[in-house]
Amino acid sequence: MITAQPSLEVKLGKLQLAYPTLMGSGCYGSGDEFAPFADLTKIGAVVLKSVTRRPRLGNPTPRLVHTPAGLLNAIGLQNPGIDWYVEREVPKYADRPCPLIGSVAGFSIDDYAYVCEQLAKCAPIAAIELNISCPNVGSEGETFACDPDLTARVVRAARATTDKTLIVKLSPNVTDIASIAREAEAAGADALAVINTVRGMSVDVETWRPRLGNVTGGLSGPAIRPIAVLAVYEVARAVSIPIVGQGGIETATDALEFFLAGATAVSIGTANFTDPRIPERIVAELQAYLGRRGLAAIGDIVGKANVGIVGAYQHGGDEG
Amino acid sequence: MPTIDCDSRVHETRVTDRSELAPGVILLGLNAPELARATRAGQYVMAIPPTGEAAATALGIYEAQGERASLLFFLTGKRTRELGELRPGDMLALTGPLGNGFDLSSKPRHAVIVAGGVGIASVLLAAQRLVADGTRVELLYGARNEALLVDAQRFAEAGCELALATDDGSAGHHGLITALLERRSEMPDLILACGPSPMLRAVGRIAADRGVRAQLSLEETFACGVGGCWGCVVPLARTSAQAPGFPLESQGGSDVVYARICKEGPVFFSDELKW
Ligand SMILES: Cc1cc2nc3c(=O)[nH]c(=O)nc-3n(C[C@H](O)[C@H](O)[C@H](O)COP(=O)(O)O)c2cc1C
Ligand code: FES
Repeated sequence: MITAQPSLEVKLGKLQLAYPTLMGSGCYGSGDEFAPFADLTKIGAVVLKSVTRRPRLGNPTPRLVHTPAGLLNAIGLQNPGIDWYVEREVPKYADRPCPLIGSVAGFSIDDYAYVCEQLAKCAPIAAIELNISCPNVGSEGETFACDPDLTARVVRAARATTDKTLIVKLSPNVTDIASIAREAEAAGADALAVINTVRGMSVDVETWRPRLGNVTGGLSGPAIRPIAVLAVYEVARAVSIPIVGQGGIETATDALEFFLAGATAVSIGTANFTDPRIPERIVAELQAYLGRRGLAAIGDIVGKANVGIVGAYQHGGDEG
Repeated sequence: MPTIDCDSRVHETRVTDRSELAPGVILLGLNAPELARATRAGQYVMAIPPTGEAAATALGIYEAQGERASLLFFLTGKRTRELGELRPGDMLALTGPLGNGFDLSSKPRHAVIVAGGVGIASVLLAAQRLVADGTRVELLYGARNEALLVDAQRFAEAGCELALATDDGSAGHHGLITALLERRSEMPDLILACGPSPMLRAVGRIAADRGVRAQLSLEETFACGVGGCWGCVVPLARTSAQAPGFPLESQGGSDVVYARICKEGPVFFSDELKW
């Protein structure tokens, strides 16, 4: 008997992906940088580094600090600005072996709309991710994802510029991520990326100074995984559009936590800095997992651990 | 530096030998024929952690000959300690070779290499290449103390003239290695340097004072190591051939641009760094 391979295909809005694994924005360049070390035909898509309306020099150095279970970064959205990017960078991306998702960052609703429109016009860009949650550009960048009303307005403005799949990337640095998620969905988002990095900092005890040039940074990697799983879990209960779960995914088991919590796809960022073969390994292991359980498709497990927020464990004790 | 179009990829290597050259300084020999063949002087690898925990570690390629490549590193933290645990027979995966190495194409008559501490790990290949090309090579090698002047003999055997310095005076000049560069009456045709950034800045300053430029191999915290994250940058003159393409208007027409040490570097010309 020949059994078909379990399917890992997923759909985000109109965007059909062969694998449910995206490479996180800002972590994977344009894909080309990793091509000698990873099989790009075995990943779902690359989310490109966020681009802004005007060129940005980026933050002062140092921009990175390794911490025991994660990475603190404060890159500060270094990029050449949308006009240069569209003219000189994007054309180089024409023959990538996997879909590319453009990432848009900004400081005003106008910025977002403009950059989104320019980027969405480019043929190599299959979909758009709105990064309304960058923690490394003063308070401005993250303001959008921290305010339900601003979230609604920026998503509506971006939505009006393109029919391509629009993913909205949310911040964990909020009190109620579900309410923000609802606003993004109502304003026309096709999918939600959950989560961006968690704010953090590190201090040098010899120099008595913060270690990052920007003082504060965004924490990624395994340290934030439980925070991210909960965020996906809560957002999944609030919306019906697909979720791209992310935050510290290093293995298929980690990825499965996100699928079971309610993510349709996952994104892998920091783990690529450990071993660029991780995404391919995760895909193979996800397939094996589904096969072992006799499941036909990754979609069969999405949200299966989502048993509710309050109440479900009321009789099972308290986590303390 | 000329961009090196090298055949870099993930290499599965086997540890062939391990020695502790000084307390906390490890030399790890690897069976890595393809890496050895592809490597140019001044390039590095990202060592994938054997346990799969934590980020990969950027390490200069010390030796590269025939079947063998080696890594020389100090046990400074969790990641290097994990690599220090490896024993002959163990496997180690590496991505590389990475970065643009030293530009040795000028066929200089006389070269001075300044190495500080673990910086020694990135200059042996350059020294060997230069000697083979008939260049007179002087190595100015500094460390905290005599014990940490690891493998100096190796450079002497390779045909370099040696001058040493230690912070505590236990060997060679008592003080900074850069003093030996500063007091020279004549500058060589080529200066290469690798070591802690105060040393590199001093080399750059001395070179500028004497109207020459040095090639400096920089070190910085890496994340991706392959140019994908813009985390490892250094300010560089916008006019540098190594400056990444960027429109002039950025940040009010600033004349610097951040270049990636892992991609545009790790070797930069001293007169183009704006640090
Ligand atoms: C060095 C670095 C740069 C990043 N740059 C961006 C960015 O430009 N835009 C963005 O939306 N997210 C950015 N992120 C966040 C990642 O895309 C991802 O959402 C986050 O790191 C959590 O996933 P991870 O733990 O798998 O890395 C960056 C993360 C890192 C570590
Ligand atoms: S470490 Fe990522 S760009 Fe250099």
